[in-house]
Amino acid sequence: MTNGMRTSSLLAVSAFTLSSALGYAGASGPIQASSNTTTPKTGPIAITGGKLLTVSHGTVENGVLVIVDGKIAAVGAVGNVSVPKDATIVDAHGLTVYPGLIDPDTTLGLTEVAADQNSNDLAEPSDEIMPHMHVADAFHAETELIPVARLNGVTNAVVAPGTDDSVAGQDIFIQLAGRNRDAMILGRDIALAMNYGADQRRRGGRGNSQFPSTRMGLITQLRQSLLDAQHYEESRNAAAKKADKTDKGADKSGAATSGGGDKPEKPMERDLKLEALLPYLHGERPVVVGVYEAYDVESIMKVAQEFHLKVILNHVTHSQEILDEIAAWKVPVIVGPVYDLPAANERYDAVYTLPAELQKRGVKIAISSGEAGGPGGAHTVRNLPYAAGFAVAYGLPYDEALKAITLNVAEMFGFGDKLGSLDVGKSANIVLANGDPLDVRTDVKSVYIDGVAQPMVSRQTILRDEYSK
Amino acid sequence: MRLSVSPPGFILRLCLGLVFTAIPLCAQQVSREPSPLPALDLVVKDATVMTASHGTIEHGSVWIHAGKIAAVGATVDAPASAVVVDATGKWLTPGIIDPHSHSALSNDVNEATSPVTPSMMMIDAFDNRDKALYQALAGGVTTELLLHGSANMIGGQAVVIKNKFGMSRDAMLFPNAPRSIKFASGENPKRVYGSRNQLPSTRMGNFEIMRQSFEDAKAYMASWDAYDAKVAKKDATAVAPKKDLKLEALADVLRGKLYVQIHCYRADEFLTEEAIAHEYGYKIRAFHHALEMYKVAGQIAPEGTAIATFTDWWGFKDEAWDAIPWNAVMSMRQGVRVALKSDSNDHIRRLNQEAGKMVHYGGATEDEAIRMVTLNPAWIIGVDDRVGSIDVGKDADLVIWNVDPLSTYARAEKVYIDGDLFFDSSAPGFGTPHFSGAMHGAGDGGSDDSDEDGE
Repeated sequence: MTNGMRTSSLLAVSAFTLSSALGYAGASGPIQASSNTTTPKTGPIAITGGKLLTVSHGTVENGVLVIVDGKIAAVGAVGNVSVPKDATIVDAHGLTVYPGLIDPDTTLGLTEVAADQNSNDLAEPSDEIMPHMHVADAFHAETELIPVARLNGVTNAVVAPGTDDSVAGQDIFIQLAGRNRDAMILGRDIALAMNYGADQRRRGGRGNSQFPSTRMGLITQLRQSLLDAQHYEESRNAAAKKADKTDKGADKSGAATSGGGDKPEKPMERDLKLEALLPYLHGERPVVVGVYEAYDVESIMKVAQEFHLKVILNHVTHSQEILDEIAAWKVPVIVGPVYDLPAANERYDAVYTLPAELQKRGVKIAISSGEAGGPGGAHTVRNLPYAAGFAVAYGLPYDEALKAITLNVAEMFGFGDKLGSLDVGKSANIVLANGDPLDVRTDVKSVYIDGVAQPMVSRQTILRDEYSK
Repeated sequence: MRLSVSPPGFILRLCLGLVFTAIPLCAQQVSREPSPLPALDLVVKDATVMTASHGTIEHGSVWIHAGKIAAVGATVDAPASAVVVDATGKWLTPGIIDPHSHSALSNDVNEATSPVTPSMMMIDAFDNRDKALYQALAGGVTTELLLHGSANMIGGQAVVIKNKFGMSRDAMLFPNAPRSIKFASGENPKRVYGSRNQLPSTRMGNFEIMRQSFEDAKAYMASWDAYDAKVAKKDATAVAPKKDLKLEALADVLRGKLYVQIHCYRADEFLTEEAIAHEYGYKIRAFHHALEMYKVAGQIAPEGTAIATFTDWWGFKDEAWDAIPWNAVMSMRQGVRVALKSDSNDHIRRLNQEAGKMVHYGGATEDEAIRMVTLNPAWIIGVDDRVGSIDVGKDADLVIWNVDPLSTYARAEKVYIDGDLFFDSSAPGFGTPHFSGAMHGAGDGGSDDSDEDGE
């Protein structure tokens, strides 16, 4: 790490200590419930008088939202909701109240300073097929990027590896608060990150004459890997059966039969790489396929369908001519980033309008925060609401835009019953802002995660305050 | 004024360069119907007019005569023959101005073969059919400063364009714009030359190269002064020194003939750059990026140096680690003239929303925010007497927006340059009255701070 980081580490530490001291929520996750964290006993909270954007059931002007034990206990209009006597009242008159935003495609915790290799754990470039890379193993909970994103109302995110590989690894689903990694990771290995297109065929491209250097190579390699995984599973099952049979045979006839029959087999050696593909071949969890061009979308979908993968498409940036086809596949789509640049001779709004065009066709969409050509994926997560707002400017209905950065994301990744809307029983991940959450001019005033008000502090606010003196 | 047919040289280049598509494309170039002349008198009526210089006029109108703003106010006294554009319910602003772009420079942003290349002329790389120009135009951008990259301590000389997409290369040049030169310090030159084990690989090396360059320029100027003195004395033995393009350019910096635009990030570097400028007697027009200006704004403000900064990019390199999104407004409050810039083929399409973020980060007024992408960048380029605000006598570079341009929901609907309509979102196809045919893919063009920069 260079001087820039070192000199600032004091500030960094103090920011996190402060956060911790004020009591971060202990997130209890559905998949990796952590035993060393508990929801702090803050008592009930009633947020009253605000405009509630519930996402699931419309807008409530002058609403009340009650939080008990870190969960939403009641939602409704003032007067229709009983507020517990001991509740702390938060006056939200003039404020908008909405569920915490969820970014479906980030590298939060895998990068700190983009240009500094030592602070990056994005992808393993040694091979294209790397399903056994677990983002959970690299996720850096103390990253300074998380408080920065949280200040603009982002409370949850999918963290995926970099896009170098055809199969890059397995994603995590995080909460942007927590005492440590285990408290922040709500789900590990929730999805398989895949990529297909020009960027992955690198081995031939950089003067190396190695396979694969073309799209043909990439697809063949992927198909072979999936076949290998299927074969691996069959062999493993067969070996298990055989072992089982041998065991049983041994039980029946005892040592006396050792002269004939099967020899006990050595247990089959585990292949972590192939094993990692199995839950996805079973369709148990989604694969997120990053792909841009229409013909690439069609190619990779062919493989996905052949192997019955449960697909979430990502990007589809230059696929305008096959939107009906995408809709017919009935797969959800993480669109864009909406700021991806149109190709030469595409109309200027070809990408801006994609969310609207897909939603119009009945596709379930999510919107991510990335920016074309910029330091996207992690440092720009705070701009997530603006990307959704931009899609509104280009035709996406407002409610659908908000859904595309909350409930739809939660549902796509298996957290639909826990997050993404203001509904009773869900985690109290709540944001209060002084206006329209999707507008660039709006200030976020408070962020609750699991019902705990987060300190509105980041390394950046500390610098701001220090130099405002 | 109208040049809808490209000059022969340009056509020749196209024909030679694109063997297979050349014939139809060139035929199209030559036979293209001239676009209709812009109306002599045009009135944009009943808009919310953000003037950038003297506040916002609700239900205001602007009269454009012969490409210039002839009147602005609640009512204007235009001739009956004027074409009227009803902008009821819409917003009108000056054209957006980007003081830091590398768009449309093919892949020739950096002549990274020497840390001192002041004689590089960016106009030589300017590709007027680059799609990035079109995409920026559709975001309301009417003027751009196209800069050399940041690989070199002293890079090349910028070109200022008006974004008249569809016109010939020369018709897109901003007439009589001041000359600017790009300097850079910090990580980029360190990385580019350090990785080759050449000077500079440190900030010490960075700045020593600059001092040496100006020493060379002074010696060069002295040799010409000596020669001129001999000539004045009618000394027959006088031999003219060799004209050296590189030293000429540096001499022009010392003569105050070039605006100095410096890429740098850190507070200490602003101070060093100002000290060197004082030592050699030139002025710094603007620091670009300038992400740590908030730390020393009080010291820099009296120098009169402006900044062209990102709104919220940060953390992409070590020298961007202390970037905060309040930088622009905090620096402005300390008296520094602040512009926002794209340095990106993406952000250039939505600088208006970047300005909107300044309302959020630091509480800029809408007036202050819009000035950061109009009048202030115009000053950095040195064309604020002609563009950047809606004032009588200025060029009629105007944008009609569907809603408040500082909102997330703003779309540029019509873009006028010199009173002529260059973008109309309601028109079919590209929405470009002056452009048809094929665009070129964008050159590298994006950020001069991307990882790949200068390599």
